[in-house]
Amino acid sequence: MRAAHSHRLGRLVIACVTALVALALLPSQAQALTTEKATARPNEDGGTGVIGGMPTRLTWEGFVEEGEAITSVTLTLPEGASFDNTTTKVTVLDDLTRIPNDATATPSGNTITVQLSDPAKEGYKLRLEIEGMAFPPEGGDVVVTGSYESAGKKKDLAPSKPIATIANTWLQQMVSFLDAQPWVQAWNQNQFLGMFMKPQLVLTSLFSLFPGWLVCLGIVVVAYPFAILLGLVFALMKISKFRVVRAIAVVYINVLRGTPLFLQIYIMFFGLPMMNINIDNNVLGVIVMAINSSAYLAEIFRAGIESIPTGQYEAAASLGMGRLLTMVNIILPQTVRRVIPTVTSDFIMAFKDTSLLSSVGVMELMMFSKNLTSVTGNMTPYVTAAIFYLIVTLPLIKVVSTIEKRMAQSERGGGPRPKAKGKESGAEADDAATRDEAKGAEPSMVEALSAPFKAGTGVFGGVADAR
Amino acid sequence: MLDRRHPHITMPDVPPAMDAEQAAVEAHARDKELTKHHFEPHEHPCVRIEHLMKTFDGETQVLTDVNLTVWPGEVVCVLGPSGSGKSTMLRCINLLEKPTAGHILIEDNEITGHLGTKEVNRLRQNLGMVFQSFNLFPHLSAKGNVMIGQTKVLKKSKDEAEAEALKQLDAVGLLDRADFKPAQLSGGQQQRVAIARAVAMHPDILLFDEPTSALDPELVRGVLDVMRDLAENGGMTMIVVTHEMGFAREVADRVVFMEGGVVVEQGTPEMVFDNPQNPRTAEFLGSIG
Repeated sequence: MRAAHSHRLGRLVIACVTALVALALLPSQAQALTTEKATARPNEDGGTGVIGGMPTRLTWEGFVEEGEAITSVTLTLPEGASFDNTTTKVTVLDDLTRIPNDATATPSGNTITVQLSDPAKEGYKLRLEIEGMAFPPEGGDVVVTGSYESAGKKKDLAPSKPIATIANTWLQQMVSFLDAQPWVQAWNQNQFLGMFMKPQLVLTSLFSLFPGWLVCLGIVVVAYPFAILLGLVFALMKISKFRVVRAIAVVYINVLRGTPLFLQIYIMFFGLPMMNINIDNNVLGVIVMAINSSAYLAEIFRAGIESIPTGQYEAAASLGMGRLLTMVNIILPQTVRRVIPTVTSDFIMAFKDTSLLSSVGVMELMMFSKNLTSVTGNMTPYVTAAIFYLIVTLPLIKVVSTIEKRMAQSERGGGPRPKAKGKESGAEADDAATRDEAKGAEPSMVEALSAPFKAGTGVFGGVADAR
Repeated sequence: MLDRRHPHITMPDVPPAMDAEQAAVEAHARDKELTKHHFEPHEHPCVRIEHLMKTFDGETQVLTDVNLTVWPGEVVCVLGPSGSGKSTMLRCINLLEKPTAGHILIEDNEITGHLGTKEVNRLRQNLGMVFQSFNLFPHLSAKGNVMIGQTKVLKKSKDEAEAEALKQLDAVGLLDRADFKPAQLSGGQQQRVAIARAVAMHPDILLFDEPTSALDPELVRGVLDVMRDLAENGGMTMIVVTHEMGFAREVADRVVFMEGGVVVEQGTPEMVFDNPQNPRTAEFLGSIG
């Protein structure tokens, strides 16, 4: 026991001695002015990074080794860095004692030369604090090199440890600009505003959340056509003549509508891998969303189809149309018109529901904002995420209400009228309803959808017509 | 015959449909005096209804025993109080209602009984129908309404169908409304489009189910004018269920009065309107006119 202990101690002593010898030998052999420290202060924003192209302070410390008398030091940074218009504070220390020295700094592009009035002797420490310098704007790891003059001889400095810098994008500049604004500082002083709506974070998260927003949109936009198709199939199955087909549709629709989407996501995302079916997260997200929406859409379509009056079926039948012809040419086109508002509402729901996919690691908007929030400890990314969701949902909500209004109008028969072609026929005494002036052509779907975004659009002239 | 769903109701057995030749001869003898329409002894009636019976839900008996023959080119107006079964009879003719018992023969072909979907659809192409509530397709323009049957059922080319549609819309005086949606048309205009839609299929027989009942009084005339034009210049066989006594008197070759699910009285307009034989007819006409 004791022997083992002393043995271990002996080894430790040997290791220490070896290290000390190495430390003592290496500098003296290699360089006589050792770079002890080369650091940069983060920029003015209280963040943690050093941004290139922005004024900051470089601190460099060197230790004068044996037999040297340093008269000048030149520091060099990579191309793009700038020492122009800097103020340099030079400190010469002998251990903890400050040695007075009249130093002059001559900045020139990416180099700066410091001339000492009295040579710095062995054992001295030289500290340069260069205020207002800037690193190369492209960012990256920056190494300080340079040379020094000792007793008339010029020697090279060993490269310093790299300083990590951040590329200076326009976004970074914007953030720094915001940092400097007094109103931003005042704004962030407010506990609520600073926590939920910090301007700098709003700005940066708008950009860092954008990919997540695209994923959300992508998932729902890809999923929805499938959902519509599936929904239509199940809607038609539900009104089928055959009991078995109807039963299948009823089970499908009721199970999917009767269970939470969250649960369905878990079953699919954790169940499929357990069966060794591995599908890309985004693709699986699309599948889950499509299946879930299809059940709701099936019900919407079924209700839509059943809302078409019997007279339409009879009129089609009296023309000799079969069931399929009637469905395709008469019933479905009318159903589409009727269900557009409800389907749009469902689309809004589906879009919002993609947020649930964050729980299983799909990199969508919610996931991005969650990560950003945990990094920054600030709620602002969530608020930004809300903005992203609203960018999609608010216009759609407007579209829904516009179409609903328009449908209510056309049901009253007050829709816009196309211009009458040719001559007015003589037998128009009974045409009280068409006496109004024509108000432009029937709006196309594109016009209808873009209408809420246009000011004073004439497409929905039916309002004036109806009065 | 027992109704499967309502075994307690006993269905009357009806005799099988008559032989075509014999029926034609009998109908000819019977109808000769009852209609202004002129037909030859060798002609066969284009619609023959024998002992037609219709029960809804096995309980409400709407048609008890309807017998009627309609000759090619004849205009028959069916009158009667509401609930007398006029519309039901009309709807039975193109099988929008399935007859409970009895026979309907179109061109001597029996359509009652078990007809396949294809046969029913083919039959309906030959039977144009105009509804009380127009039943235009709201998503299609007036022109589109007239075209759709031609393109989808008759498989005509789009150009052909469009030309026909414009011709028929012109005939009903709505050429300038060809691109209007039904919602943009007045009721009278909608009904005229509906007539054009039915006529564009070139059916042998046109069925009118109270075509003016849903119209404001001032819009009725336009529709009746179109129907009169069809009857007088188109030579179309028409069965018109209507309350328009004036129209019936002026245009009809024969007026049929129905009540309680049976044909109570029929004859030329003069016979029925001026000298009704049945007291119910007289009462009805008195109350109306």
